[in-house]
Amino acid sequence: MPHTFISLAKACGLAALAASLLVLGLPDARAEENVWPILKEQAFGDRPIQEEDGMVVLETPSKVEDAAIVPLTVRVPPSVKGELKSLTLFIDKNPDPKVATLTFGPAAGTSGERSFSTRVRVDNFSHVRAILETADGSLHMTTKFLAAAGGCAAMQAKDPDADSADMGKVIVRTFPPALDSNPIWAAQVMIKHPNHNGMQLDINTAKFIPARFVKEMTVKRDGELVFQLDGTFSISTNPNFRFTFSRGEENDLDVVIVDTDGTVFEGQTHPKGS
Amino acid sequence: MCTPKLISRQTFLKASLALAATPLLRYVPAHAAAADVSEVAPGVFVHQGRYEVQSPENRGDMANASFVVGSEGVAVIDTSGSAVMGRELRDAIRAVTNKPIKYVINTHMHPDHVFGNAAFVQDNPTFVGHYKLARALGTRSQGYITANKQMLGEATFKGSEIILPTLSIKEPTTLDLGDRTLLLEPQPTAHTDNDLIVTDSKTNTLFLGDLLFSVHVPTIDGSIKGWLALLDEMGKRKAARVVPGHGPQTMELPEALEPEQRYLATIAADVRRQIAEGKTLAEATKTAGFSEKDAWKLFDQYHVRNVTAAFAELEWE
Ligand SMILES: [Zn+2]
Repeated sequence: MPHTFISLAKACGLAALAASLLVLGLPDARAEENVWPILKEQAFGDRPIQEEDGMVVLETPSKVEDAAIVPLTVRVPPSVKGELKSLTLFIDKNPDPKVATLTFGPAAGTSGERSFSTRVRVDNFSHVRAILETADGSLHMTTKFLAAAGGCAAMQAKDPDADSADMGKVIVRTFPPALDSNPIWAAQVMIKHPNHNGMQLDINTAKFIPARFVKEMTVKRDGELVFQLDGTFSISTNPNFRFTFSRGEENDLDVVIVDTDGTVFEGQTHPKGS
Repeated sequence: MCTPKLISRQTFLKASLALAATPLLRYVPAHAAAADVSEVAPGVFVHQGRYEVQSPENRGDMANASFVVGSEGVAVIDTSGSAVMGRELRDAIRAVTNKPIKYVINTHMHPDHVFGNAAFVQDNPTFVGHYKLARALGTRSQGYITANKQMLGEATFKGSEIILPTLSIKEPTTLDLGDRTLLLEPQPTAHTDNDLIVTDSKTNTLFLGDLLFSVHVPTIDGSIKGWLALLDEMGKRKAARVVPGHGPQTMELPEALEPEQRYLATIAADVRRQIAEGKTLAEATKTAGFSEKDAWKLFDQYHVRNVTAAFAELEWE
């Protein structure tokens, strides 16, 4: 009886299921080289970057359990006042190191604790960086090291058939602050989307599933821009975002998402009803 | 094999009781290089895996592996976690019977249940699995190979291969072993999206694969909702005995399911409450389900990942 041996030409680190091996601490050779100078040059040229100056805080899990779905949170402490221009997230050793760039608009707020969270794939032992650009154009960076591997090739979809049935479903939620005086609201956007990175094999065709991921997301509050996000496949399957925005009149959020196929997905929430 | 230390007394007594109820017919101790197996019912043999994660010392011997001997041939149900363990299982079969090995059935995709398949290629059996098993293994094979090579060590992993099913099960299907048949039933997404339940007709023994964990903390790699729903259905079944994927060689329904049901239901309730309160995934992984910590082995290795999976599923409700 014939049987099939699989051999793949292309590898992308370890499986998510291997998370427990992380205690062994066996980074591969790529983890040794420092790619940041090149990434910095590409993204910011020769602009100076202040490091660890307290203007931006990055929270990562102390131990990564599933490299295909690693929660990251960036906070800008309340002591930082004024508008923010942009926020960029990098995972140095990922196939596409840039996770996302957010370009902020007037509805992102000018005070209070502003934050942004998402879930990412981490392909290798890597530095994770958040670079904040403030209104005066200065750049501020904070860095964490993540001992995680294998989020890229790992097929995170546990039930791909159920997921593809719901493809494109968008949920938008807002969370009013506990105190009415707080000028900052929180929100969540989630979309059912495989965010295929082109590194997962389709056994039926013996080909890699073509890359298809969320490329752009625009969030508006009462018609004013909160931020525009440019994303990559470093963001996990079923992309999930938490963020803050400044209090408005209605606090209606409108979200438009475009993927690399050019498909447009929309979601909104109207907390006061319509 | 190893005496449970971390599990609650109650769980342990239950497991012991379940064992006591099914007297062992034959114990085939490890000799030369054969895996130790016990005959838990006439012609039904089970090798019990260890409550550990892969290491060069345990050689991937973590999951239970079984075989059923009929008048015309043998069916293997899960092959342990490496080619070397698969060979030892094969040696154990050969110590019992010279009948041809006709079928190698994998209850689902996980490495500790499939990497021993390679040892049976020489027998030219039909490799059997759920109709979604091939896709699941295909998308994960490179990761499984790299990770297990690293955890077991190159030397121990040597010869281990992902071997895809040649018979895919979409509808309940019967395999004939001569004087007995095996019923294969593909399940909806639960522990994984490719779980298969195998029933030996002659002894009414159910092989549940990783739909049933005992002592070893369950791992969610499919759907917590689907798994809880399936456990309700499984509890209504009648069987002389069930063989868990991880746990003692045999247990009894419905008690065998209770600790796992409680574990999954606790996670689901905690996670749903936190989602309703607007909590984040990172927050949930610090508290949800921790009341179960002392009831399971390997809790620290798998629990946070289970909560992560449950959260990512239940937040879409
Ligand atoms: Zn399993």
